Amino acid sequence: MTLLARRTGQVAAEQRPPAGKRHAGERLWAFAFASPYLLHLVALAAWPLLASLFFSMTEYDLMSSPRFVGFGNFTRLFEDPVFWRTLGNTAYFAVLFVPVQTALALALAIALNQRLRGMALFRAAYFVPVVSSWVVVAYVADAVFNPQTGIANQVLGLFGLPAENWLQDPALVIPTLAAVAVWKGVGYMMVLFLAGLQAIPEERYEAAKIDGASAWNRFRYITLPGISGTTFLVLVLTSIETLQSFEQVFVMTEGGPHGASELTVLYLYRQGFQFFQMGYASAIAWVLFVLVLALTLVQFRLQRRWVHYA
Amino acid sequence: MRVRVLAAAAVAVLTMAATTSCGGSADDSGAVTLKLGFYAAAGDPADTTMRQLVKEFEAANPSIKVQLEVAPYVKFFERLRTQIAGNQAPQVWLSDGVLVQEFAARGALADLSDRVKSVNAADYSGIELNRDAQGRVFGFPQGAQTPVLFYNKKMFAEAKVAEPTAEWTYDDLAAAAKKLTKDTNGDGKPDVYGFRAYSPGFTESWWPIVKAFGGDIVTDGGRKVVIDSPQSTAGLDWMLGAMGKDGFAPDYVTTEAMGKGVVHTLFATGRVAMSYGIYARTLPAQSAGVDFGVAPLPKGPSGRGNVAIVNSWVVSKAASPAQNDAAWKWITFFSGEGPQRKWAELGEAIPINKKVATTALAPDRGPVFLESLDAATDLGTNAVWSEYTEALAKRMNEALSGATPVAAALQSGQKEAQEVIDRFYAGKTQ
Repeated sequence: MTLLARRTGQVAAEQRPPAGKRHAGERLWAFAFASPYLLHLVALAAWPLLASLFFSMTEYDLMSSPRFVGFGNFTRLFEDPVFWRTLGNTAYFAVLFVPVQTALALALAIALNQRLRGMALFRAAYFVPVVSSWVVVAYVADAVFNPQTGIANQVLGLFGLPAENWLQDPALVIPTLAAVAVWKGVGYMMVLFLAGLQAIPEERYEAAKIDGASAWNRFRYITLPGISGTTFLVLVLTSIETLQSFEQVFVMTEGGPHGASELTVLYLYRQGFQFFQMGYASAIAWVLFVLVLALTLVQFRLQRRWVHYA
Repeated sequence: MRVRVLAAAAVAVLTMAATTSCGGSADDSGAVTLKLGFYAAAGDPADTTMRQLVKEFEAANPSIKVQLEVAPYVKFFERLRTQIAGNQAPQVWLSDGVLVQEFAARGALADLSDRVKSVNAADYSGIELNRDAQGRVFGFPQGAQTPVLFYNKKMFAEAKVAEPTAEWTYDDLAAAAKKLTKDTNGDGKPDVYGFRAYSPGFTESWWPIVKAFGGDIVTDGGRKVVIDSPQSTAGLDWMLGAMGKDGFAPDYVTTEAMGKGVVHTLFATGRVAMSYGIYARTLPAQSAGVDFGVAPLPKGPSGRGNVAIVNSWVVSKAASPAQNDAAWKWITFFSGEGPQRKWAELGEAIPINKKVATTALAPDRGPVFLESLDAATDLGTNAVWSEYTEALAKRMNEALSGATPVAAALQSGQKEAQEVIDRFYAGKTQ
């Protein structure tokens, strides 16, 4: 064997172990390194997933043995007006929350991407609600939106406008919840956008300036394409988060008034953990999973048209 | 070889786990481990008292070792359901009275009917309220709650209004409440009300009112929803009048806003002069320093509509005979005079031991609670209580908020609640 061959690792073929044995050894090592994750996947993801698929086709109250009902839960689900209402509520919440949070996070990221003193303080301030629990946020929201004592109605009063029942009015409860959710979540998405903005090479802006591009054109033709990957990530994450929303409504409204803010996951929770209908709850979970998957696939399909990866 | 060693180790671990999970049966020495579950917040006085009582019980029964499982209410029942599924539930636990039949109907509870025959039922309150449609008893009372009329003595004196009496009718209540309603800050709207009518906790709101006006909620052993009636309409109309044209009770939105999610505190914070409240409401009123009294619920066209919730000890069907015996020993110990007196000191519930109840409760309030408890019916408990009452309450609240006309709300509430019950019993023999 030559020195070069040793240095480059190109051991003569006749000195190497047979290919099958070598690959088997590599596979074993690969499996050994991946095993913690695989165990986690099987025990905590794949097994519960398969179990819930099985339960979705049963009548199961957690206490007695599951009784197979085929697609009975799914048939009932599609005929259940409350399920459809919760799905409508969730969609309405998503339609308000996703674009507003994305646009606001981008605007804040651009504003806080300036090289000014004290900017870190502002970034931290916007991030504080992200790390606050929903219970704390619910107290803050009550201070703002309580119809009797809240700041929101006091502000309306200053302009001579009538007071509103923000969380008690079926027409206002979802927009109010969306506003609170944006306030809590915008800081996180802002950080993602900040990272995206800071990854755009400064030279592109300098070249555009020399070419006489206006601030709008620089934003339109450099910033937006430059952060399109981040925007896509934010949209996907926010959409999934919205369809899985639970904690906020559980803490703030419990789905009220009169079910106007009952989102699908809250409905699922009640069916499974309050009403002993784990089979029906599993069916809801699977329908929700299919919807989330479909939405994400559509987003991935559409991203080819507008996302630019540098 | 390695594989065999690994397999043997796995079997050993599984065997140990299985043995541990089955722990609690009587061993050769006759000792038994009893897992006892109850709900309380950590460090809560109820938690402290219960732990003391368990120590006393263990001292009196050296062959029984008690393992406590405590969690706040919501967490406790969430965990309990999965514990039952995994055969890991406590052998005896404290159940919310309205959930006893839910667990029993799903085969999770041991039938205590024969055990109950061994005690003198006349010594305890609430045993009959735990009896299901087939006459079986699956829970033994631990503490009772029943709503009565709380009133603020100072507010009555200031308004020169005579305090409520046992003879009060709903008209008397309305007349007094109007006089007690005040606009203290001069903004043209009342900020202190005579009465709190609406509450998301319907035990202290529409349920007794509907019954007092002659309506009913469920009949036929919890199988038939009958709330859609002219009598129920009359009860709800009275409430809507109180919150609307008569204006002596805060409306739905104002009640929710003033109560900030804990509507019952409106009485303790002096925002209302009168309120229906269960026994547990005496605690916040006392803590707030309110000088208050209690009176029987006012008389409606069909009586007072007294209802009660009897929180109860239940025994797991999966308990071994030795554990079942130990669990019953615990139940009889807890129902005894000493433990009941200690529990009564917490002020959370009406003691179910009648001898203790007649002496341990405040002399000016105790008799009112006890008479109301004696006259009470159950809260429509059945196998799907949580679900059918949620369906019903949603529609009732729509009516009380003015979002839906009373007639339409009663009609859809009855239909939807009945569907829940029918779905459960479809295909079941009983």
